[in-house]
Amino acid sequence: MRGLKTPLGAAAALSLAFLLFAVVLGPILWGDDAIKVDTMALAQGASAAHPMGTDGLGRDVLARTMVAARPSVGLALLATLITVAGGLLLGGLPAVLGRRAGRLLNGFIGLVVAFPGLLIALVLAVVLGSGGRPAAFAIGLAGVPAFARLTQTLAASVAGRDFVAAARVLGVGRTRMLVRHILPNIGEPLIVQATLGAGGALLAFAALSFLGLGVQAPDYDWGLLLNEGLNRVYVNPAAALAPGIAVVLAGLAFNVLGEYAAQVFGGRSPAARGAGGSARPVPGDALTVKDLRVSYGPAVPVKGVSFTVGAGERVGLVGESGSGKSLTALAASGLVEPPGVVAGSIEAGETAMVFQDPMTSLNPALRVGTQLAEVATAHERLARRAAGRRAVARLTDVHIAAAAKVARQYPHELSGGMRQRAMIAMGLMGTPRLIIADEPTTALDVTVQKQILDLLREVSDSTGAAILLISHDLAVVAQLCSRVLVMYAGVIVEDLTVERLVAGPAHPYTRALLASVPDMSADRSQPLATIPGRMPSPADPVAGCPFAPRCPRAGDRCLTAMPPFEDGVACWHPIKEVS
Amino acid sequence: MTALEFQGVRVRLGRRRHAADVVKGVDLTVPAGTVVGLVGESGCGKSTLARAAVGLVPLAAGRITPGSGVQLVFQDPYSSLDPRMTVGSAVAEAVPKGAGVDRAGEVARLLDLVGLEPGHAGRLPRHLSGGQRQRVAIARALAARPRVVIADEITSALDVSVQGMVLNLVRELQRELGLTMLFISHNLAVVRYVSDRVAVMNRGRIVESGPVDDVLSAPRDPYTRTLLESVPRLR
Ligand SMILES: Nc1ncnc2c1ncn2[C@@H]1O[C@H](COP(=O)(O)OP(=O)(O)O)[C@@H](O)[C@H]1O
Ligand code: SF4
Ligand SMILES: [Mg+2]
Repeated sequence: MRGLKTPLGAAAALSLAFLLFAVVLGPILWGDDAIKVDTMALAQGASAAHPMGTDGLGRDVLARTMVAARPSVGLALLATLITVAGGLLLGGLPAVLGRRAGRLLNGFIGLVVAFPGLLIALVLAVVLGSGGRPAAFAIGLAGVPAFARLTQTLAASVAGRDFVAAARVLGVGRTRMLVRHILPNIGEPLIVQATLGAGGALLAFAALSFLGLGVQAPDYDWGLLLNEGLNRVYVNPAAALAPGIAVVLAGLAFNVLGEYAAQVFGGRSPAARGAGGSARPVPGDALTVKDLRVSYGPAVPVKGVSFTVGAGERVGLVGESGSGKSLTALAASGLVEPPGVVAGSIEAGETAMVFQDPMTSLNPALRVGTQLAEVATAHERLARRAAGRRAVARLTDVHIAAAAKVARQYPHELSGGMRQRAMIAMGLMGTPRLIIADEPTTALDVTVQKQILDLLREVSDSTGAAILLISHDLAVVAQLCSRVLVMYAGVIVEDLTVERLVAGPAHPYTRALLASVPDMSADRSQPLATIPGRMPSPADPVAGCPFAPRCPRAGDRCLTAMPPFEDGVACWHPIKEVS
Repeated sequence: MTALEFQGVRVRLGRRRHAADVVKGVDLTVPAGTVVGLVGESGCGKSTLARAAVGLVPLAAGRITPGSGVQLVFQDPYSSLDPRMTVGSAVAEAVPKGAGVDRAGEVARLLDLVGLEPGHAGRLPRHLSGGQRQRVAIARALAARPRVVIADEITSALDVSVQGMVLNLVRELQRELGLTMLFISHNLAVVRYVSDRVAVMNRGRIVESGPVDDVLSAPRDPYTRTLLESVPRLR
């Protein structure tokens, strides 16, 4: 387990070991001491024989605390089990029931979730009667609404995805849908929640027992020990301290475990700036990249890329998916996250990023105007109101009608094209020298696509910002850019003007790419030209030209030696003639 | 052979105050064994029409025939396959239940039909490329032995080089199996390539339809003209 090397992973392992030790071995090692009545040492303070003192019957408090680990943790787990089972059932049902019953059930969950959990637990404990099991049920049931709500929210978010719709069209039944398609896809956050919940249950249980509503003598758990200890806290503070520490430690252990699970399931921690990214302004070129390499362990998706984007220049970066376009762009703006490693030099002026799906890069919980204003308040310490005014001005600049109204809306209230405009407006809150746009129009339809491309051109003309447009669509690039970089398997294989692209590129890959685009004059009786084979993956070792296995012009040298990049093309046998 | 027919179809989406007509009375026929391309910008109601045809959204008025046996292939192969289900079980799930059905054999046959090696059956979607995923999605739709297939933007999430392969596959399968097909795309060049006829949709209505060459070379509706002018061209 690699995760154990992180501090959180180590803490989680340690906590788990501590808990397991106490639960499994506690009663075996200390079972006898815990019930041995020592009439010679009634209610004593800490001593060498009894490190935490003794209770009213002269029993060793430390031993009793260790023995109490099993019932305390066990009952907490029972309560958690009840919470999880009940929550899954209640939260999953709306997905199984029909539309109307589901909505009713959702309303019900919403209603009960409004009551504080501990209050419900108290009431249930009184109703169900005292004792360990009833208390476990009380705490377990009290946790059900919150867990059900989480299950239901997560299930609803998955239920909206295409694969669920696809299964519906195929006639997959509701129960199978829940069990096979929905639950497996929301299991991870639920496990995290359950683990954190176990910690809460443990504390709640201690509280109930302490109040006399939980475990009853002669059984005992930490809460009851705490109760007994507190009665004599002035005589022997250690007797209250021992179970108190145990509760806190065990509660912490569950929390650390939960946090660790969240980290393992939730992927990487928040964005950290990768090495090699420098955002200091440089005179002259908007972006200079030299020998850029991005690696993930043995996989090297970007294998030494060098290029320059001049001031105000509009450059396209094309290539099939997985060729390293996006990573090159992320590295250029210092956004590659660990474990990605960036090497090489990058000099970039102030950069703005526009992504393919603005929904994922805009915060769904914040109003559009607030998000834009945040950029200015964060970077220039602009006053709130001034920043708000600038946000509206920028939204107007990107031709959003009723900008003031849009600024008060949330991202999901905008159409795809509007969101993309808002994203560009956000980039314009500063004074970027370079706008990197990664597939900005792929999710949009032709008419909106044209508007966004026109907008980018206009912005670049009026502000002098350079543009690096990443796209797999040659026609889109040709529409906006004057120069095109073609990427294949992590290297730039050709750097050419748009005129040359249209007239006939020199690199066989660029030619093949061009031929595979159906245009409005394609011969419909013929199958479309395709490029047989596939691009090598970033982990594959490549000796010669990476395109060689698919290249009709490949010769012996192509298989053994990587062609150098010369005169704008990396190929041993470039095509000279114009098509 | 079955034709796909929309008669006065209206679809209302949203609830109560927010409800709005997304499809406002569509009459459209896809003759049996042919491909009709449906173009128009996103949000104009193309996908809603498709979803109505397979019963994912209810009709407010009109009717769609046939009422069953219609399959839909979705735009995004990254979200239309369950990430936790192997390719084989995803396709098997779609094979109609019945006595004497050799599921494994049927899955192998379908994967072969869409040009995937049988070894792919044990893989999860995340181990496949976008093009391969879309092949799986197509195999899955065909597994249900549909009378009509609706393809909703099935190549827009794919690379040009892969798009070509998927389009070739679609054309081949359509001809081989004589499928009736509604092919939805915002890419006019793509629609022109695979369709026999084309219908142009704008704001919930069909504004123009006819044989592909007629509509695209001599558009009558102003909206069709805008659409044609917006197509980014290389040459
Ligand atoms: N976090 C990551 N871990 C490992 N590999 C990655 C990661 N991000 C991207 N890659 C790999 O890098 C390669 C290039 O990715 P990308 O730059 O997104 O390509 P493009 O934008 O050209 O489609 C892909 O093969 C991808 O699998
Ligand atoms: S170097 Fe050889 S294999 Fe590579 S593109 Fe040129 S001709 Fe083809
Ligand atoms: Mg990309």
